[in-house]
Amino acid sequence: MTFSMKRALAIFQKDYKDLSRNLFVSSTLIMPLFFAVFYSRIGDGGVDITYFVINITFSLVAIFVQCALIAEEKEKNTLRGLMLSPASTLDILLGKSALTFVTTMILIVASSFLMDYAPQNLAVIALALIVSTFFYIGIGTMFGLMTKTVMEASLIVMLPFFFFSFSPMLLPLQNRFAIIGLLEYLPNVLLIDVAHQVEDGANFGAVGLELGLLTVWAFAAFVGSVVMYNRKQTD
Amino acid sequence: MEPIIQVNGLKKLFGNEEALHDVTFTVGKGEVFGFLGPSGSGKTTTIKILTSQLAQTAGDATVFGVPVADLKQEQYRKRIGVLTDNSGLYTRLSIEENLSLYCDLYDEPKTRIDEVLNMVNLSGERKKRIDKLSRGMLQRVTLARALLHEPELLFLDEPTSALDPVNSRHIYKGIERLKANGTTIFLTTHDMQEAEELCDRVAFLHQGSIQLLDAPNVLRRKYATGSMRVELNNGQTHEVTQTDEGADWLHKQMRAKNIASIHSNEPTLGDIFIEVTGRKLS
Repeated sequence: MTFSMKRALAIFQKDYKDLSRNLFVSSTLIMPLFFAVFYSRIGDGGVDITYFVINITFSLVAIFVQCALIAEEKEKNTLRGLMLSPASTLDILLGKSALTFVTTMILIVASSFLMDYAPQNLAVIALALIVSTFFYIGIGTMFGLMTKTVMEASLIVMLPFFFFSFSPMLLPLQNRFAIIGLLEYLPNVLLIDVAHQVEDGANFGAVGLELGLLTVWAFAAFVGSVVMYNRKQTD
Repeated sequence: MEPIIQVNGLKKLFGNEEALHDVTFTVGKGEVFGFLGPSGSGKTTTIKILTSQLAQTAGDATVFGVPVADLKQEQYRKRIGVLTDNSGLYTRLSIEENLSLYCDLYDEPKTRIDEVLNMVNLSGERKKRIDKLSRGMLQRVTLARALLHEPELLFLDEPTSALDPVNSRHIYKGIERLKANGTTIFLTTHDMQEAEELCDRVAFLHQGSIQLLDAPNVLRRKYATGSMRVELNNGQTHEVTQTDEGADWLHKQMRAKNIASIHSNEPTLGDIFIEVTGRKLS
């Protein structure tokens, strides 16, 4: 699989211009900041509240924006134009993900700032957040490829939005329902776990397993996106 | 002539419905090949198969000697241009921004934008947003995008369907220039005038099968009755056959200076299509 930075960058620049003129999607970008301000005024909720907002940011930006960008390409038949061009699968998928990645990162940093969140080990948290972003963008890409219109996309993303935003709240029930224990392996829960450990002084070595699992999730989402994209190349 | 497209026994099923049945043809290098048929006859399905957007159910199809399934590779994509009935343009971006993206994707210099916009008569409109354009202008931008990388093989699916005669004429000139430069063109249309004017050979597609395939002038001669229609100065019209009797009558009228006009009864491609398939093209 070949990769051309020039082509990926061209798709990124196109998405940037397009998104800046797309009120429906760009207005969504304000939501995480709204949540951050709202929860910061409630008081110091600690790591759990901070990561509740961060997980919402992943759902609203990395999943929804990515899903909407891909779905709109399908709705307007522009994805077909990209597929018929010399751009490779990697050029298109990375080019289409770049804007979502940058936007997600900016909003997570801004939300953390608004919530006065200063992790004990910035490098570990930064790595965990970056790997998580790849995972959520992969989910957004797959949902976008599954849908045919932006409207359909905005409905279907409710599923991962509620799942990844609120599933950590079910964890206290795992004493009654053993199956809920499996939630601990979800990327959103793993991220919160890493954050807690970092606040207790953990370094890279201590959270290696969690970071490894997050990487596996991100890789699986990437492979899923590539497989689904390649299938969509032929009607 | 070096074959660019080779199709042999192509078949496509959508469920139980047969969209293409045993379609066989070859398109040579530099040829303008017309695929004529009414809506739903299988024209777009054929283009989709030949550009690897759709897999065939049976049969062989190669482009540049390569099976169509392998055309997804970069080196082949650069040699092919496609204009479809769906514009596939970014509506919130300008004409220039759309074409600029494709310049980068095809490694073409941005100076090509001026050249292709001039070709489709849109030179002064480059800053206009796509969602502000008329259907005809959209069609021309889509064509400009397909021409941007000077493809060796160009698929044109109804290229003038939304255009007025002036702009259609502009596109015809552009296609003739491409042909002169050696571009191979696969053109689908239901416009007989367009096919007669542009195509070296045409195939009549009806219900997924090719009914007839040859050069337009060969087809016209083959289906000609040899008669002519003569209009006299008094307004009367006469059908004259090429017989001794017809020649005597014509000679007599000419000597009397009675003839206002003479038309050969050579059939148009539309007439031939109706004769062969029993239905109109559009």
